[in-house]
Amino acid sequence: MTVDPSRTDDLAVVGTRRPKIDAMARLTGEARYADDLSMPGMLVGRQLRSIHAHARIRSVDTSRAEALPGVVAVITGRDVPIAYGVLPVSQDENALAVDRVRYVGEPVAAVAAVDEETAEQALRLVSVDYEPLPAVLSIEDALDPSGVLIHGEGQGANVHKAVALEFGDVDAGFAAADLVREDVFSFAGNTHAPLEQPATLAALGGDGRLTVWSATQAPHYLHRALARVLELPSSRIRVVAPPVGGGFGAKTDILPHEVAAAKLAMVTGRPVKITLTREEVFHSHRGRHPVQMWVRTGFTSDGRITAMHFRSLLDGGAYGSFGVASTYYTGALQTTTYRIPAYRFEGLRVFTTKPPCGPKRGHGTPQPRFAVERHLDRAAEELGLDPVELRLRNAVEPFSRTVNHLRITSCGMRACIEEVVSASGYHGKKGHLPRGRGVGFAVSAYLSGAGLPIYWNDMPQSEVHIKVDRGGGVTVFSGATDIGQGSTSTLATIVAEILGLQPEDLAMVTADTDLTPVDLGSYSSRVTFMAGNAAIDAASKLARLVAEGAAQRLGVPPEELVFRGGQVAVRGDPRKSLSWAQAVRAASARGALMTSGVYWAPEMAGPYRGSGVGISPAYSYSAAVVEVATDPETGEVSVEEVWIAHDIGRAINPVLVQGQVEGSVYMAVGEALMEEQSFRRQGVHRGPSLLDYKLPTTLETPKIHTILIEEPDPEGPFGAKEAGQGPLLPVIPAVAAAVEDALGVVVHEVPITPDRLLRALRAGHRGKAPVIGPASVPSFEFGEPERVQPPVGSPAEVAVP
Amino acid sequence: MVQTTFLQPASWPEALEARAANPDAVPVAGGTDVLVEVNFGRLHPSGLLDLGRVRELRTWGREKGRVRVGAGVTYSELITQLRGDLPALATAARTVGSPPIRNRGTLGGNLGTASPAGDCHPVLLACGAEVEVASSRVSRTVPADEFFVGPKRNALGADELISGVWIPRATGPQSFSKVGTRNAMVIAVCSLALALHPDSGRVGTGIGSAGPVPLRAREAEAFLEGHLAERGAWESKRPLEEAVVDRFAELVSQAAAPIDDVRGSLRYRRHALRVLARRSLGWCWNDYREAAR
Repeated sequence: MTVDPSRTDDLAVVGTRRPKIDAMARLTGEARYADDLSMPGMLVGRQLRSIHAHARIRSVDTSRAEALPGVVAVITGRDVPIAYGVLPVSQDENALAVDRVRYVGEPVAAVAAVDEETAEQALRLVSVDYEPLPAVLSIEDALDPSGVLIHGEGQGANVHKAVALEFGDVDAGFAAADLVREDVFSFAGNTHAPLEQPATLAALGGDGRLTVWSATQAPHYLHRALARVLELPSSRIRVVAPPVGGGFGAKTDILPHEVAAAKLAMVTGRPVKITLTREEVFHSHRGRHPVQMWVRTGFTSDGRITAMHFRSLLDGGAYGSFGVASTYYTGALQTTTYRIPAYRFEGLRVFTTKPPCGPKRGHGTPQPRFAVERHLDRAAEELGLDPVELRLRNAVEPFSRTVNHLRITSCGMRACIEEVVSASGYHGKKGHLPRGRGVGFAVSAYLSGAGLPIYWNDMPQSEVHIKVDRGGGVTVFSGATDIGQGSTSTLATIVAEILGLQPEDLAMVTADTDLTPVDLGSYSSRVTFMAGNAAIDAASKLARLVAEGAAQRLGVPPEELVFRGGQVAVRGDPRKSLSWAQAVRAASARGALMTSGVYWAPEMAGPYRGSGVGISPAYSYSAAVVEVATDPETGEVSVEEVWIAHDIGRAINPVLVQGQVEGSVYMAVGEALMEEQSFRRQGVHRGPSLLDYKLPTTLETPKIHTILIEEPDPEGPFGAKEAGQGPLLPVIPAVAAAVEDALGVVVHEVPITPDRLLRALRAGHRGKAPVIGPASVPSFEFGEPERVQPPVGSPAEVAVP
Repeated sequence: MVQTTFLQPASWPEALEARAANPDAVPVAGGTDVLVEVNFGRLHPSGLLDLGRVRELRTWGREKGRVRVGAGVTYSELITQLRGDLPALATAARTVGSPPIRNRGTLGGNLGTASPAGDCHPVLLACGAEVEVASSRVSRTVPADEFFVGPKRNALGADELISGVWIPRATGPQSFSKVGTRNAMVIAVCSLALALHPDSGRVGTGIGSAGPVPLRAREAEAFLEGHLAERGAWESKRPLEEAVVDRFAELVSQAAAPIDDVRGSLRYRRHALRVLARRSLGWCWNDYREAAR
């Protein structure tokens, strides 16, 4: 038998357009999300949340709440005193605040009651004695040496993480430059707003084991955190992720309500469900960091980059979350699109008394991508070069090493650029459309899975099991969570391709720590690549077992067999064949039909601290052209049309890839024009509702032309790379560039609200620079960078003179 | 457990009796405002008076130059059935919420809530509508510009219910427009309705989301009426001078009493109203001139 996942022709199901295998279940309401689950005797859990941005908790009196009929339990920070955090370096959060609250909306107590109204009433009967402390709401406040310390530890002031790295000789690079340019940028924080509000149901079984059904993107990490906080062996806990209604990163961290529901179930001995209200989702957050950025780049007169110095300052909110990784990500991927021979990165994350920031689609990279793309547009103007040409002159080469030790494999960036520029008619439009209309262009790259797990270990990043019953039924077991992106369908398609079956033929069991092997989770765009490769491994092993049985029956060597259309047939002689069921029967006579597949990412990390962030077995590339219509009088901007090319390697299912691309464009339009987590002076969210927190609706969604570039990646499953996050990245800077083209303003900040746009236009009328953006970034002394020798073959070796 | 009395009269007389007997019960039609408030815990009514079964409220009819729209007519019905008679009201209704909201929400409910951001209100002001209210004893009409007495407060007595609205049929061009980063499923940043009444020589305006109540720009109306009459412009249909349009826009902007909030700044609202006023007058006057040809 032969299975060659790198083959690019003759595919039966991979590459065909088909609906998700669970599409009907999701559309008809048959799919049971976490909040749809219900159990006999189930209690409703609710959390009491802080009304202060920053306060010491003197005491919490729960006696009146406990006395209320219908209340079964009330817990506080004392009941869950063990701190946790998704990253081993940031174990700084408690499910319920212990002695201090650090943001408005931080959980302080949780109740379990017979119904929602009683639970709500009980919350009002819990009295908390707070001693208010000053709120810290900006990076400047956080760094003020006379200000208050939020955690009372760290690297001084409220610094959570400070990093300074230098790859190659940056000073020499600047000295060799004909042009050195500096710009500053600001990117507002925004939130994920998944349609499904997070929910968790927890229940103790008769055997004393705890089961937690939770709307999570990463059951494995939740499993680990629960074991730690609840002081139970992992073997006594089962975590199940039901179908999840959108994540975008919101459900990757361990959220306080997940711990609270589990603890309440243990305390009461009854099932407890907590579903967050929409308002609570804004407090739970873990969304996009607000980032201030400064970038300095040297260019030769013909536009080649000689060196780059990039500085980012992240407003992290109250807790660590993924923040250390977020900080590194703001500096890691600049080199994946452009040949940068010398690079210095300085990154800072501070604590503030606001809801914690974390990963949102593109995790830490949309902000620097916005800055770098806009910065290159500025440089192109100054050099008198076309912005597209400037990108092409600096484009990274396929199968190369970057100066910061990232391994580039397949790279379809040039093809992406050529396709969108041609399809959109960019060059005929830029500078030529009537006033008020404009076009903008940008490129980007993103990971196909983080190269390392979140906690150090040398186990596989993904495992897949496949079991076949004697009638031929195939069940695939994977820890990956389908969060709506279609990962279950993708895995089914991969397995079906190898076994010659249809995806709909397979039974899929996912995201259940009792039943499925570990997959690290649906984050960092890793599932198609990593779980997909593990699925290929498992399916190939299974095909081998089946082939051996069938070969014996057919009297040919197993290598002669092919799996196609539900048949196992002799190559070149389709009359000599067995049906899949007959082949399975023959193989079952030789032993159990159960296989395991694994995926390990290759070892890629460079020789420096922080080198684990940014590495990936493959990068996807995107390019976008955006056309906008603006109203110079009201400041309104309408994104009319988007052309986006995405280097997917291979589309396992083009419908799902297109869905991810379109969803990314939609989200990018919101971030570019309207979305912002904004807070009043005392740290109160300005509009924690979908009414006041503006997301685009279908009416604001532009016409989207998706172009898929398919140059198979040598390590990707059937050549596939990621699609879930990368396509968001180029759209935000391209919208800004289009607004500039339309109105002649300078856009160095998002969102581009009507108010901000009008202010810039008014400044222009008064003869001042029409700029949307900051004048400077907060100052911080990073100290001497850690100097890292660039790898062999990096652009440092071919540095321009 | 909170106890709420639920009253569901089957006819208009029953509804009025129920209202008189339960003055604390909150009237509810489509529920798109009241039930949201209840669900958010901001409203704890001791009773709900559901008007959804009162058939009399669901009808509309023409009478001389006016249309009487029952309080229970939905936004969707305004859009599909009344866009010829009441074009600006139909346009405003189209911008309310989403299709499910428009299928449930009613004109009477919009007036009952009396939000300064209610989408129908500027049109009712611009058209010179009258709100018909009734108690079990007596029925009366209240001019739209006397109906809104404060933020989310109206002129309804404790024993009264809104039965309908009398709106003059359009005799000239009308417009309704609003601004914002998003214009579906939002509370408008600000909005403006304009109605030209060539038969009477009157100009009507209505401003939304830019004051404690929906407002008329009376000075702007008087200025434009005076100008049009003085120059015989209604008859000559000559183009309007830019200075006139600008002055009108300035007066509209000055009539507003906006604040800074999460949806927009005071300054932006004043500016946007000036823009909306200039554009609205441009569209309407253009339509008037075109229609005459």
